[in-house]
Parts: sequence; structure tokens; C-alpha cells
Amino acid sequence: MEKDFIIRTKNVDFFYGAFRALSDVTVDFEKNKVTALIGPSGCGKSTLLRLLNRMNDLIDGTRVEGEILFEGRNIYAPDVDPVEIRQRIGMVFQKPNPFPKSIFNNITYAPKLAGIRDRGEIEALVEASLKQAVLWDEVKDILTKSAMTLSGGQQQRLCIARALAMKPDVILMDEPTSALDPISTAKIEELIDTLKKHYTIIIVTHNMQQAARISEYTGFFYLGKLIEFNATEKIFTNPDVKQTEDYITGRFG
Amino acid sequence: MNEEILHPVMNMKWRYFKQRLFFGAVRLSAFVITFALLGILAYILANGFRAITWEFLTQPPTDSMTKGGIMPAIVGTLYLTVGAILVAMPLGVVSAIFLTEYAKQGALIRIIRIGVNCLAGVPSVVFGLFGLGFFVVFLKFGSSILAGALTLGILILPTIIGAAEEAIKAVPQTFREASLALGVSKWNTIFRIVLPSALPGILTGAILGVGRAAGETAPIMFTAAAFFTAVLPKSIFDEVMALPYHIYVLATAGTHIEETRPLQYGTVLVLIALVLGIDLIAIIMRSTLRRNKRW
Repeated sequence: MEKDFIIRTKNVDFFYGAFRALSDVTVDFEKNKVTALIGPSGCGKSTLLRLLNRMNDLIDGTRVEGEILFEGRNIYAPDVDPVEIRQRIGMVFQKPNPFPKSIFNNITYAPKLAGIRDRGEIEALVEASLKQAVLWDEVKDILTKSAMTLSGGQQQRLCIARALAMKPDVILMDEPTSALDPISTAKIEELIDTLKKHYTIIIVTHNMQQAARISEYTGFFYLGKLIEFNATEKIFTNPDVKQTEDYITGRFG
Repeated sequence: MNEEILHPVMNMKWRYFKQRLFFGAVRLSAFVITFALLGILAYILANGFRAITWEFLTQPPTDSMTKGGIMPAIVGTLYLTVGAILVAMPLGVVSAIFLTEYAKQGALIRIIRIGVNCLAGVPSVVFGLFGLGFFVVFLKFGSSILAGALTLGILILPTIIGAAEEAIKAVPQTFREASLALGVSKWNTIFRIVLPSALPGILTGAILGVGRAAGETAPIMFTAAAFFTAVLPKSIFDEVMALPYHIYVLATAGTHIEETRPLQYGTVLVLIALVLGIDLIAIIMRSTLRRNKRW
């Protein structure tokens, strides 16, 4: 069966000023799978992730070369609106970053601006998103309370629910559990496992066990280069490249 | 040199002495400032409170301004101050948004910033002359609330821009990222996430602006303030009396300067109370906002 790749990068170079953060990264992300990006700090994995929904646009003095295709279309083409790209490719950050608004309004903020006005539709969307993020039962009676009153793990699930409410195709996760305790981490990992039925998930993680547990594919980055991209099982049992093995077995990194 | 090494104990004593000396000086200057402020307030209160009567607050001046009240001046200063805020707030906040969120940091922005800072240092009488030349004469507003409010608005613009810039910069970058990553446009992100979070800080700028706008005499002298009007303004093109100018007039230009001394103190007291009152509203607004926006 032909594999369905939702995002493909072709020979991507990325520069912060004169510093080359990524060189010649070519990688294909399969639809409705979890792909993990691993590697030591500063290896470029987060940079690549933030390129996929044009979040690096926010940083002055950066430059992208090569192509990043989302459903066959280069998202860095001049006629592409990054806002539209970000509506279809959501993102969850390292530290939970809910808005200082109520739980309800955290979810409805972006969909309302995208044009959903009907009250019933909005309420249904809030419930569906929170259920998908396995947060509904914990917050259904406190929807009007500030999101800042939730625990870190709950806040992160709220951020996932908030991203889901935009009904994206892809969800990018930038070390989503590194600020959370083990129980919250387990909950998020479970959540990722159920979400992949409907969404493509690309996750950056420092935690190799996490990559091994939740992903189908893993890419190993080192010094801005994609060293190896393979099925997760292969990477963690019998990697093709020596450097990958050294990193995974803890010999460096 | 050698002595210091040979007599460490003496050295320590000298150091302690120096330390006490400096702490003493610091403490003293703090006291001096506080006492000066309290002293001025107490002095004005002591001299002014006898003048404060219901008539004083609700009647226009009578008998060549030696009797009667200051109601037109209170109303005039309120109009001018609120007008100045209405002019400076939108302009200042928009400028701050441009400087912090949109403009590419570079030579142009540096020049604009230097310009804003210079504006803050310009003597207020220069603003008065500018207002006279531009608003009163060139735009033919005449001496009016409109011309005065615009002049005062420009005067407090740097204060508002500065405070708004700081407040906007203090909004965590993660809020912007979260909003943009949801496919929300930059404009909506600024308008719905950044500005509401920055509002308490922006209000601080407004508070400082109110104090200045209400108290300035020179900028309104040529642009808005009337020596005497018994009637209240009917439109923004009318002249008004204003408290600071009224004080100036009573204290320098009248024929009965000594006689009106109590009225002068009373007017000063009213001006201070008015500024504090407006500030109080802003402070209450700010603390309510802060309570709702914790991060």
C-alpha cells in the first residue's frame, strides 16, 4: 500500500542570522501516525517542528531554504497565508500556556475568531474538544473558572483541547510533558495514543522512553542534521547509523 | 596601605562608620522627600480647607473673582483632562503597538524612540506655543476645549507611549505564541490577548498622564483657558476656566492678590483632590483588572 505523507520537507536549511540551525533536512511525515523527533539539546529538532507551522516567522533575522510541503503545497510559497497553515497545523508547547481566561473561553477563543458564532455549536465544540483531551470530567462543572487555577497537567490537556477545537490535521508537540509530573505525563501519552486515529502527531521529546512508547517513526537529529529516520522499533533496537546507537544507549548527548 | 593590613580591626570600624554614614544619608533623603510631600499637602490643607464650602464648589467667581466659587474652573479642568486622555490614549497605545509589535527594530525605530523621549523633555510652554500656532491659529479652533485638550494630549503622549510600551513588552511571549499557533491573525492576537493583558500597565500611564494634564498651566494658557467666564462651555469650541490657570491668575494678575489668598489655597486643594480622584478611579480599575489577569 502506498503510504500517505501529509508533510514532506525537501532539503530544508534554516538560518538564525549567520548560524545554520538545520542543514539539508529531508523527511516525510506519514498521515495519522506519531512521529518522534529526538536528539540532544540544540540539535535542531524543535527548530524543524516550528518550521512546520511557520512559528519561526516570529523570529527576526531567520531564513528558510528548501521546501516544506503540506498536502503537496509549499507552505513557504509567497501566496500562502501562515494563519491558514496554523489553523490546519496546531501546536502544543513545552510549558502549558493557557490564556488568562476561563476554561470555556480558552477553547472558544480561536474558533470564534475563525467564524463560528452559533452558541449551540460552540458549546458542543467545547464539550467535544475537552472530551477528546480527556479533561471533560474534571472541568465540566468549572468551565467558567480561570484556566490558571488548573494544575499543570490539566493546563496542558486544556492546551491540547484548545488546539483540537480548531479541528487541525496535524498537531505539533514541542516536549509537551517535560514540565509535567509522571502521572500527568502518562495521561498525555495515553491521549496521544487515542488522538493518532484522527490526527497526525509530530512530537519533539527529550525522553527516549517516551519516543519508544508512543511513536511509530523516529527521527534522530544531531548538530542540525537528520542523522537517521526510521521506524521507531528499528531505531531503538537496531539503528542503521552508529551515532544513533551511541545516543540511544547513552554514550553521548 | 600597610596600615590597613596591619590594623584590620580599626579598618573594620572605619568601614562600619562609613556604612552607617551612607545608610543614614539614604534614610535621610527618603525622609526629606516624604516630609516635603506631606508638608506641602498639610500646608495646603491647613490653609485651603476653610475656603472649601458648598458655594465655593458650585458657584462661579463673583466680585472681580474675590468672592464666590470656582465651579467653572473645576468643570473646565475636568473637560480638558478627560479630553487630553481621550486624545492621548488611543494615539499612544497605537504608537506603542507599532513600536513593539510591528516595526522592525532598526534605525527608524531608534529615531522614533529618541523623538518620543525628546518630546517628553520639551518644556510645557513650548507645547503651549505649538498649540497656539497649530490648533488655535492654523486649524482655526480658537482658544477652546478642543485646542487645549489636543495640546495637553500631545504633552502627555510620551508618558502614555512609554507606559504602554513597557506594559506590552511585559506580556509573556508565550501568550502571543499560543494565539498565533491557533491560526489567529496577528492583529487579533494583539487586540484580544496582548492588549487586555497589558491594560493594567497602560492605565498606569494614564494615571501619570492625568496628573500632568490636570496640573499644567502653560499649555492651556494660550489654547483653552479663559481669565473669567461665569457660564459653562456649550461646545468643545468654547473657552473654559481651568484650575491651574485660575490659581495663576489669582496669585499674580488680580488686583486683590492678598485678599484672595484663601481662595488660592482652596483652589489648589481642589485641584489636588481632583487629580487624586481621577487617579483613584484608574487605580481601582487597574487593581480589578489585575485580579482577573493572573499569570
